[in-house]
Amino acid sequence: MQAPQSKEEKQLDAGLEGLITKVHDLKNQIAAFINKLETEYETLNWPSMLDNFALMSGQLNSLKQLLRGDKMPALRNFVLFPVLLSQDPDPHLEKLTEGRVVSCNHDLVPDYLRTKPEPEVEEKINLIANKAANVNIETATKQLNSLNKITSNLLDIINSSKDEWENDAGQKGSQPQTSQQQDTTNLVAAVTKGLRLRRPDPSMQQMQAGPIHSMQQVQNPRPGMGKMPSAIKTNIKSGSAHPYQRP
Amino acid sequence: MGVTCVYSYPVPDGKSGQAVVEILQRQIELLGALRSGHFCVDCDTFQSILQTSINVQPKTVYILHNSEQPASCFAITDTSLCLTADTLFDGLMHQLKNYYQQRKNAKMEAKGQRYELGDFILKVGSASLAGSFKGIIVEVEYCPCMVAVDCWGLMKELLQSVVGSVADQPPPILKNRQDELYSPSITVSQYLDIFNNFRKLSATNQIGR
Amino acid sequence: MEGAGTSYSNAFRFVAPLQEHLLQGSILDAHCEVLLHRLRGLCDNADTTPETFSDYEAVYQLKNNLATPASQYILLRVRQALDHPEAPHHIRYLGQAEVGDKSRHTLVRACFDVACSSNVRDFLNELGFKLDHEYVARGYFFHKGRMKVMVSKIYRMQQPGKTDQNTLEPITQSHMVELSVVAPMGQDSIGEEMKNFAEQLKPLVVLEKFDHKRLP
Repeated sequence: MQAPQSKEEKQLDAGLEGLITKVHDLKNQIAAFINKLETEYETLNWPSMLDNFALMSGQLNSLKQLLRGDKMPALRNFVLFPVLLSQDPDPHLEKLTEGRVVSCNHDLVPDYLRTKPEPEVEEKINLIANKAANVNIETATKQLNSLNKITSNLLDIINSSKDEWENDAGQKGSQPQTSQQQDTTNLVAAVTKGLRLRRPDPSMQQMQAGPIHSMQQVQNPRPGMGKMPSAIKTNIKSGSAHPYQRP
Repeated sequence: MGVTCVYSYPVPDGKSGQAVVEILQRQIELLGALRSGHFCVDCDTFQSILQTSINVQPKTVYILHNSEQPASCFAITDTSLCLTADTLFDGLMHQLKNYYQQRKNAKMEAKGQRYELGDFILKVGSASLAGSFKGIIVEVEYCPCMVAVDCWGLMKELLQSVVGSVADQPPPILKNRQDELYSPSITVSQYLDIFNNFRKLSATNQIGR
Repeated sequence: MEGAGTSYSNAFRFVAPLQEHLLQGSILDAHCEVLLHRLRGLCDNADTTPETFSDYEAVYQLKNNLATPASQYILLRVRQALDHPEAPHHIRYLGQAEVGDKSRHTLVRACFDVACSSNVRDFLNELGFKLDHEYVARGYFFHKGRMKVMVSKIYRMQQPGKTDQNTLEPITQSHMVELSVVAPMGQDSIGEEMKNFAEQLKPLVVLEKFDHKRLP
């Protein structure tokens, strides 16, 4: 009997270790959250509050996973009971709990080792349970239906306002057109190939012959520049003689 | 960078070029000059392969480098227009290889010793065309002055003590530009002038034979 | 002071060409201010006012065979700063861009940039180059690391050689935006860097690579 017990004991120990770490993390997170509320309450905003709550909920979730996991023995099978109660302060306990619990005495035990809710709480729970049991089925169904309707209405309202807001944001972004494709092409062509920057050159008229090659745009637009349909009004002064003409 | 005069020193008959160079070097050292390294001026010729009309000579461009201005490259056309550019210009000429081709065996070089004497820099070297000796070149630079007409007297005195009567007149290129503010392109033009003379001389010698 | 002689000049004679990586786009004049603010925030030296430039660029062309139009030609660009007359002129040779490589986000082309004395235009004319076209570019430039961004307005010159304001005419109602990096051959990671930077300028300006052969 010794061997299986020790295996269970080992499992219990490991499970408890895990629980302790998780609870420790959660405690730290709550302490940090309280600290934040106390010191930054002027500058705090709702999204960061939500972040904190989300963090805590995540930690609770991981605690839940641990409890549900295979490695955890069925804790309900174990009973925790105090062996010795004393009024004297216990330094070892104090150190373990970081100064929160000074002695394991008669005040402490009912609160910490409680398995049932307090009597007042228990009464309230019983009252509500009785009320719930006495409710008519029809009224219950009617109430359920109206609750569903209200919820779906609310959902519709929220969704429609969300769509509206998204449309607005989308319109603001796409409306101001900051660049024109035609201008871009013209600029790049001007800087790279000199399109629209050349002056009509009478001496070049002789070189019109030849296949119109994409490279030969250098020749052809020259005489035809004045006739080229362009959105921008160009003022081409066709000089009498090209100043760079070779003698 | 100051006013520079470049002369070609004639080699007397019966003496080898190397011997004359050594004599000149000894003379300069006797004056008290200190040796301060080597110098080199080289010249490449590029000729245009554009199909122009038949009677027109193909255009030539000379690309020169001077060790005194190591980060520069000089390009001179046959109309004596000199462009000063940085050394990437060589790469650019390489890009123009479809239009201007480098003439083979036309590389001229002037190499030799460099001396410093107070404010003067003297250079004595031998010029060679494609490796064969063509003549002797002497260069004198007076660093503090940048206008030739102001310091010609001083330079003539020093030059005459080194090269004698060759330096009676300033070099032809400099003569026309005595009032200008001096620039390295004038030095390089002087070298080109001398190189061209050597070239013509060797061409006529060959024809004579 | 040792003159290095021909070995020095030889080393530079066939230096590996640099490559220019380029992305181009444009922005309407009305929205230019917004772009300048954004660039100021993104680029180096945010605390100084953006640097302006005013350049006069002329493109010279040399054709292999003057008789037939369908012959080879080479273009050289001469650029001089109008606001700094003492600065040297620049000759720029830009090779053909390699396109078709979809993995490259930017246009890549060989680039030679040579500083030279101011008689370069006469020199090129002597060599047989002819003026093809010229323009004035004015605007702002920024740099971030080794990337350079230029926002410029291109002006047509109504009279050849005259660059005064009253003879200039803008060719479009937009400013041209160019993002470029000049780097030695083979460094392809620059494309990534440039693409990431271009992303930050969207949707104000869409910088992309243009196939120069397909331009009208």
